[in-house]
Amino acid sequence: MGKYVLKRICYMLVVLVILSLLMFLIYNLVPNNRAYTDAKDDENSQKQALKGLTAEEKKDWFQKRYFEYQCKYGTETNNMLVRYGRWVGIYPLYDGSFNGLLQGNFGYSYELKGDVIDVIQEPMKNTILINILSTILALGITIPLGILCAVKKNSKFDRGVQVFTIIGYSLPTFITAILFIWIFCSLLGWFPPSGMKTPGSNFEGWAYWKDTLKYLALPLITMTFCSMGGMTRYVRASMIDALSMDCIRTARAKGVKEKAVIYSHAWRNALIPIVTLVVGWFLGIFAGSLVFENMFGLNGMGKIMIDSLRKTDFDVVLFLQLFYVGMSLLGNLIIDIIYGLVDPRVRVGK
Amino acid sequence: MKKQKKGFFGTIAGWGRRLFRGGSAELVDQMEANKNDPTKDVEEIVSPSRQIVRGFMERKLAVGALIVVIVMMLTVFIGPLFMKNYSDSYTEVTQKNIPPTQSMMSVPKELKNDIKMIDSFGSFSVGLSNAGKVYVWGSTQMGTTGVDMKDIPQEVKDAKIVQIAAGMDHAIAIDENGKVYAWGVNKLGQYGYFDPELNPSILPMPDVLLNGTIDVNNIKKLTCGYQCSAILMNDGTLYIWGNKNTYSNIDKFVDKTDLVDIDFTLSYVVGLTEEGTGLFTGKRGLLDQYRANMNTSASPAKQFLDGRKITSIYATNSNVAMLLDDGSMCFSGDFASGALPMPAMEGEQIVDVKAGSYHYTALTDKGNVYSWGGNVLGQCDVKESAKGATRIFGGSYQSYAVNENDDLIAKWGLKGYLFGTDSYGADIFQRIIQGGKMTMTIGAVAVIISSFIGIIIGCVSGYFGGKADMFLMRVAEVFSAIPFLPFALILSAVMAQMDISENSKIFVLMVILGLLSWTGLARLVRGQVLAARENEYVTAAKAMGVREGAIAFKHILPNIVSVIFVNLTLNFATCMLTESSLSYLGFGVTYPRPTWGNMLNGANNATIIKNFWWQWVFTSLFLAITCICINLVGDALRDVMDPKSDRDQ
Repeated sequence: MGKYVLKRICYMLVVLVILSLLMFLIYNLVPNNRAYTDAKDDENSQKQALKGLTAEEKKDWFQKRYFEYQCKYGTETNNMLVRYGRWVGIYPLYDGSFNGLLQGNFGYSYELKGDVIDVIQEPMKNTILINILSTILALGITIPLGILCAVKKNSKFDRGVQVFTIIGYSLPTFITAILFIWIFCSLLGWFPPSGMKTPGSNFEGWAYWKDTLKYLALPLITMTFCSMGGMTRYVRASMIDALSMDCIRTARAKGVKEKAVIYSHAWRNALIPIVTLVVGWFLGIFAGSLVFENMFGLNGMGKIMIDSLRKTDFDVVLFLQLFYVGMSLLGNLIIDIIYGLVDPRVRVGK
Repeated sequence: MKKQKKGFFGTIAGWGRRLFRGGSAELVDQMEANKNDPTKDVEEIVSPSRQIVRGFMERKLAVGALIVVIVMMLTVFIGPLFMKNYSDSYTEVTQKNIPPTQSMMSVPKELKNDIKMIDSFGSFSVGLSNAGKVYVWGSTQMGTTGVDMKDIPQEVKDAKIVQIAAGMDHAIAIDENGKVYAWGVNKLGQYGYFDPELNPSILPMPDVLLNGTIDVNNIKKLTCGYQCSAILMNDGTLYIWGNKNTYSNIDKFVDKTDLVDIDFTLSYVVGLTEEGTGLFTGKRGLLDQYRANMNTSASPAKQFLDGRKITSIYATNSNVAMLLDDGSMCFSGDFASGALPMPAMEGEQIVDVKAGSYHYTALTDKGNVYSWGGNVLGQCDVKESAKGATRIFGGSYQSYAVNENDDLIAKWGLKGYLFGTDSYGADIFQRIIQGGKMTMTIGAVAVIISSFIGIIIGCVSGYFGGKADMFLMRVAEVFSAIPFLPFALILSAVMAQMDISENSKIFVLMVILGLLSWTGLARLVRGQVLAARENEYVTAAKAMGVREGAIAFKHILPNIVSVIFVNLTLNFATCMLTESSLSYLGFGVTYPRPTWGNMLNGANNATIIKNFWWQWVFTSLFLAITCICINLVGDALRDVMDPKSDRDQ
């Protein structure tokens, strides 16, 4: 097992390197020259000091300044691999020092005026909070529903739920969100349509949580609803598979109570694929919350990402993208390991 | 069942049938004939493809969904052929945010045979009966202001009105005693009292209109424009008021006393002085190039008129028509490229002209009615029955012809919008059809690209196995590790920064979608090929010396085509959804080119969602129904094709 995990991790790192190189190259397709902009800014701010110089000297001064910035950002060379190495922190800068991802330099956000790692902290906290809450809600609803559908397979109830779930997973998330805003905000007026807290308020303790929950309720309901379609179908399918196993027939023949058959015999068998699904799905909604956070004006990672994309603040985007890729790779690894752990039949690595 | 006896000719005919239709068809016929005979019951032999079709047909929901999908596709691909006047970047400021309606031309029944006058400028029309009663029809809800033009004030209902005019979002009426009434929106100085100190951008309504009366018999013209109104008297006195921001030259008219005619375009006030030697706009160089028709070349005013006098003026949104004292017409201003030129009216004298938003309607002394100008919304399609009219009325996009008994004999122009208009004033129905074409094309091309890659990689990887399989599956894993939406977002954002044409951007978008979604299909095909590889027919092909590549693509691939087909269907819906999400977020395809995703772009705040429901409901419905139906079809196909699924249980 240990050897297998190690192999997987090595492989994961290789993929990470390939993807990060790919992303780095894509970003460098965008025509922007930070060193030049900074040097120009310096020139403008120091107009007084430069007054006495001739045009030639000014040009020299600017060139020197420009070169300094290029060295600082590691862009004085056009070799993309060297630049990539510097960005990661495995290739020295012009002055021989290292300053890349490995050294903890994740870049600087020009829009939000701060290191990316600081800028991203608060939104990340929010996103994780929202995702955990919606996962709990979604699982709490879909698992019982899926089991019920599987047990009452092909009944009217099951067919109704099936159509409903197809609609659920066919609807684009933003349409569901628009629909829910219309129903719950415009028609019923239960929830505020966007934001994280009452503007200008400064609640503490219980009042803070109450306020936050009021604002998060609608996004949570929408997210849960959107994920219900696919999840219910999955739970139902694996439960049906489990219910048709021989051990179930045996259990029923022995006269085990139907409840025990369903919950302790069948459910345990159905759990294996479901567990892996839940992990993957939980990691997947990080990317999925892009749309929700923008719809509902939540200060999360998805919103920061879209805002940064619009304002071409690419250090932030690059970091977030790296985070998403890392999450998805980590998810695959965890799924593999869990699969090995829960299901003794799967002898991974052999 | 009695056994039929065959004669000689019957036998010959049987042979013929067998010759041309094949023996199996004969067998089927016999089986059909023996169906009800239990003694001759033969179990039917059905080919797998027919089995699938039959199984599919049994599912009513799926068949219905398939029909809906086909109808949708036909609509969006054939529909655009019928929209000759459609243009992506069409905007119209007077037609913004109009709800679905067909009532823009529906003159009330009581007014139909008693018409004194009709006028309109924006989305609603006002009419006046000979008895002095006011009627309002059309799209009367004024945006988010909550004002409904149909709520005519009680004092207007009580008074006997003699003159009436409609503006963009307000209406002005004058009663027989010379009192001026107004209703509608008045946030920007359309009517009522405004303190000039507090509202410098508003030209206030003259005091005499607010509190006094004017001489009714002396009124020459009452006209309204975009949040502005003017009353011109026979003695040259001009009352003009409204929002200065919409008419930048309005100040020049305040002290004018020598005008004989006045009208509003969309952005300028135009007047005519007594000399009639040119249009008065108060701005040098504005509207001073005249032309004899819309498609002829222009020349300076003095040169063109050559001593002739202008007797009256009629303004549309972007140009002005002038009637000269020799009975001819001339034009000034900007003309849209698709505008119809004025028809030749030989031997006829123009009696009256009415100007709409983009079109003119003219009545001649022989009772003929002509319309020309902008015809985007069918304003110029004059009805046959209009012949013999004695008076004409019109405004914005409608024209009405009335006979000597004040009966309405013809009306033509814009009835309304089936799905309303968006915030640019474009018809949502047309944009949905055009956008559907784009959305479906992107989805289809993306699916084709992804299937192409997926099938090739899956086949190669599954059939050859070994190192090729190992390598290709690692590549697939790298691609599947890419988080889809963020990556697509970034690629399109990067693309937006680059200097490439809109068309190639859309093509790159399709490629991106295709490139990011082939891994699932590749895995599926690989698994299928792995299983199929062990079949006897593959061994046979190998023994016959068929090349490896030919076995993989010619022998195995056709056998797993059903699985691919299901995947294709489901993938199509996914690609459409992804494109929509991207475009919705403002990446992907951008305005003015419509797709179902970016048409919903505006619907991201509660105000629009609530007040302008038609701007998202119809588009969402189209997108949702299409996706749901495609998924239903795909689901049903999967169930039918899967031999393990036992749906009869």
